[in-house]
Amino acid sequence: MLRLAARRVGLAVPILVGVSIIVFLLMTILPGNAEAGLVPEDATPAQRAAIRDSLGLNDPLPVRYVAWLVEALRGDLGYSLQRRREVADLLVQAWGNTFVLAAVSAVLGITLGLLLGYVAGTRRGTLVDRVVSIVSLAGLSVPSFFVAIILLSIFAGGLKMFPSGGATFDEGPIAAIRSLVLPVASGSLITMAITARVTRAGIVDVLSADFVETLRAKGLSELEVRTHVLRNAISPVLTTSGVQIGALLGGSVLVETIFRWPGMGQLLYTAISSRDLVVVQGATLVIALTFVIINLMVDILQAAVDPRVRGAVA
Amino acid sequence: MPEAITSVQAEQPGENGNSLPKRPLLELIDISKEFDVRDNGRRATLSAVNEVSLKVRTGRTLGIVGESGCGKSTLARVIVGLHAASSGEMLFENRQIETTGRRPRKIVEQMQMVFQDPSSALNPRATVGESIGFPLRVQGASKKEIDARVKQVITDVGLPASYVGNYPHQLSGGQRQRVNIARALALQPKLVVLDEAVSALDKSIQAQVLNLLADLQRDYQLTYVFISHDLNVVEYISDEVAVMYLGQVVEEGSAKALYENPRHPYTQLLLSSIPTLDPAQSNRDEPIGAGDSEIPSPISPPSGCRFRTRCPFVMDICSEVLPPRVEAAPEHIVACHLYSEGAERNDGAVAAAAS
Amino acid sequence: MTQAVTPVLLHPGFGAGVPVEARARAAELRDEWDAADQNVDAQSFWKETGKRFLANKVGVAAAGVVLLLVVGAVFAPLITSADPLVGQPTDRLQNIGSPGHVLGTDEQGRDVWARVLYGGRLSLLAGFVPTVGAALIGTIIGVTSGMLRGVVGTILMRFMDVLYAFPAILLAIAVGSSLGPGLTNTIIAVTIVFIPPVARVAESATRRVVVQEFIEAAHLSGASGFRVARSQILPNVLNDIIVYSSGLVGVAMIIAASLSFLSLGSPPPVPEWGYMLNSLRGSLYTTPLVTLVPGFFIFLTSVAFNMASDALREAMDSRL
Repeated sequence: MLRLAARRVGLAVPILVGVSIIVFLLMTILPGNAEAGLVPEDATPAQRAAIRDSLGLNDPLPVRYVAWLVEALRGDLGYSLQRRREVADLLVQAWGNTFVLAAVSAVLGITLGLLLGYVAGTRRGTLVDRVVSIVSLAGLSVPSFFVAIILLSIFAGGLKMFPSGGATFDEGPIAAIRSLVLPVASGSLITMAITARVTRAGIVDVLSADFVETLRAKGLSELEVRTHVLRNAISPVLTTSGVQIGALLGGSVLVETIFRWPGMGQLLYTAISSRDLVVVQGATLVIALTFVIINLMVDILQAAVDPRVRGAVA
Repeated sequence: MPEAITSVQAEQPGENGNSLPKRPLLELIDISKEFDVRDNGRRATLSAVNEVSLKVRTGRTLGIVGESGCGKSTLARVIVGLHAASSGEMLFENRQIETTGRRPRKIVEQMQMVFQDPSSALNPRATVGESIGFPLRVQGASKKEIDARVKQVITDVGLPASYVGNYPHQLSGGQRQRVNIARALALQPKLVVLDEAVSALDKSIQAQVLNLLADLQRDYQLTYVFISHDLNVVEYISDEVAVMYLGQVVEEGSAKALYENPRHPYTQLLLSSIPTLDPAQSNRDEPIGAGDSEIPSPISPPSGCRFRTRCPFVMDICSEVLPPRVEAAPEHIVACHLYSEGAERNDGAVAAAAS
Repeated sequence: MTQAVTPVLLHPGFGAGVPVEARARAAELRDEWDAADQNVDAQSFWKETGKRFLANKVGVAAAGVVLLLVVGAVFAPLITSADPLVGQPTDRLQNIGSPGHVLGTDEQGRDVWARVLYGGRLSLLAGFVPTVGAALIGTIIGVTSGMLRGVVGTILMRFMDVLYAFPAILLAIAVGSSLGPGLTNTIIAVTIVFIPPVARVAESATRRVVVQEFIEAAHLSGASGFRVARSQILPNVLNDIIVYSSGLVGVAMIIAASLSFLSLGSPPPVPEWGYMLNSLRGSLYTTPLVTLVPGFFIFLTSVAFNMASDALREAMDSRL
């Protein structure tokens, strides 16, 4: 198990390097991108060239990448002129807020999705099944920002039950929790829908497998049979859960913007609007790295749960 | 059908009259094939075919028989050029041909193959006509030529010409195998390698297809390499038979000699395991000892004689020296220390065990 | 292998020209096959798939909705006379059903119905074009690396893995913000996001096909690798890719709308659903239903595509 985990970590290293190269290239390769946000808009070409030179922007790309990576590994992701802050400082604060939002949404969405999917899968063809199927198809097709706006119009606008804007834990736990409700709801709804869909498909698949008949024939109680079924159906759910968390992290850009939740997403949004590409670069890098690490953990977890995956790697 | 036969026959007699039938069409000299594999995470070499030398005579059928995993399918693919050999040479019509790299199209077309699995051997998205005609299209034949040729071969293999528009899933296994054969014949090859060509078929269909193959061999002047694990089928169709074990040929000879008087302990083991309905041949049911033991892995085959771990007559020399190929009887070659010089006394023991 | 081949079945005279009965038997067999042939209609896979798809009511309805949306976008000028770009400032923020404005007006007094129709042009384009583009490029990459394996295949797929390591929307946002706002850039960004998953699907389908014996047979005909890929592999991986890609259109629309929501799409005043939703956000508490209109259309299109895609998958799966 430990060897397998070590192997997976080893395999993730080249991916991490690749991700950092892409993030670096995206923000530097196009003309004007590298110095965007560092050079005043009204600078003359001569001033611009001087600044480029002083920033080392005329060096060959690989040299600049290594220099950037070394700084990044030291925790220095640059300085945002617009914000007049170190990018790393901005990110640390925002990351925590996003983590809370994404983690709560993921746990809630996956748990509810598992439950709904299980109910629908074991009662195939019934009304419950159809409703779950339709809801999950809808969940697959709805943009998270649309859900966010609907929730906002109902609960913050119409009913005035929850605040529309974000209050963090600095303003006290109750305010924070109250303002978490709507963003969590809009994130977890979609996660729930997709998880339910995958779980249902997995359960239906497993239920039609021969071994279930064998278990029944062996005289296992229905509860014991169900436990076996769930264990076998859970692997595809785990596989998608990594992607789901990715969707939550990516979707946070929209959801956080709408609910003014001060996380990575909102930071990214304001940075894009002001073409503060140093911040965009840093935030993209950190979200992508978080996603890679989460997928890595899901992978290892999956191997722990599903012996077939374990066998395929060993 | 008659047209094709006459045209084929018209080409042949000059260089290949009935007077000299024994000239080999294909000769393999020390052909080996190794694969790089991962064994428990370590790099390893799998020796699938090891120093195989064989002669395939024009117009005849060479049967290659052995258990699954003995390298016979790999050998088939090396012969037709689908796998590059790791070492060794090949002579085709007395000319040396490429064994390790890409062959010229002219050579590729002369050697065709009929595959084992009737369901995977045909493109499920192509009609029967498209599958048979594909080699001709690659050759650049006109649509008219292709249609005529496809119609010709499809009737030659005993299917109605109307089948050209059908898809493989609409055909039975036997019909698909006929299409498979028709495709191999489309380019009028000289050599056809049949890899377990009838193994997936029902017994009764097997017989039909075997008879068809015999007819086609005569009509198209074909030379066959017939590969199978089924001893009865090989005996029926082959003129000569080679027995393979773990990538090596352990015994070869005429079908008659080999089946009536098997020399190698492995051949004896194989023949003894044939189920038969004829009580007169019940001696084949006699077990010859350690026959049930596991086949060793081709990743680290036993030293010396590869069969020694299962051989009931194993001697000290077997683990040390690779047995040389000995002509135990005329045209009957065995690779076993029992038949090496100074082993006369053992010959009696083997014969006793075998009879 | 339980029974020996009995010599009776292997009558050496069969087909050799001698026994008349055997010949007659063969002729009979051919007649039987011919008769069976009359019943089996030689249908191509795609014809059968089409038939099965048409038999699926939900799928047909979904495809109908898609068609309606496309027609509405293309013939927008014929459907409404209102100008989607210029509004009457006096008519600002009219609610749904107000006279002259079926779906109300936005914060600049422009007719929302007209903007939805015209906006469909960009939104549908941003859903279709990247999907088609990614399907083409992803197929080339996937089939190539599935066939070649080796160094080229590994490098290609590892590169795909790296792109796949980003959350989809984040990658689109990163590419989009690097390239700057605009429809073309949105399309490029979404295409890049979808190339890796399509390449993976194509690669695994190719690996499955490439080991089959008919591929070996094709190589034995002397065909070049490219020809084998085009004539033998592609037809067999295409349905996997089509099913997968058809499911991407809805997601592509959502991602494109998200970019546009973040003002990375085509610049105003040209209407686009994602951007409309964002700019109507300010009037959420005055005319909430009008605000939801563009979101509803994104949702409707996406659901329709996903349902049609599901139906297509079913139609292709139940092959013989």
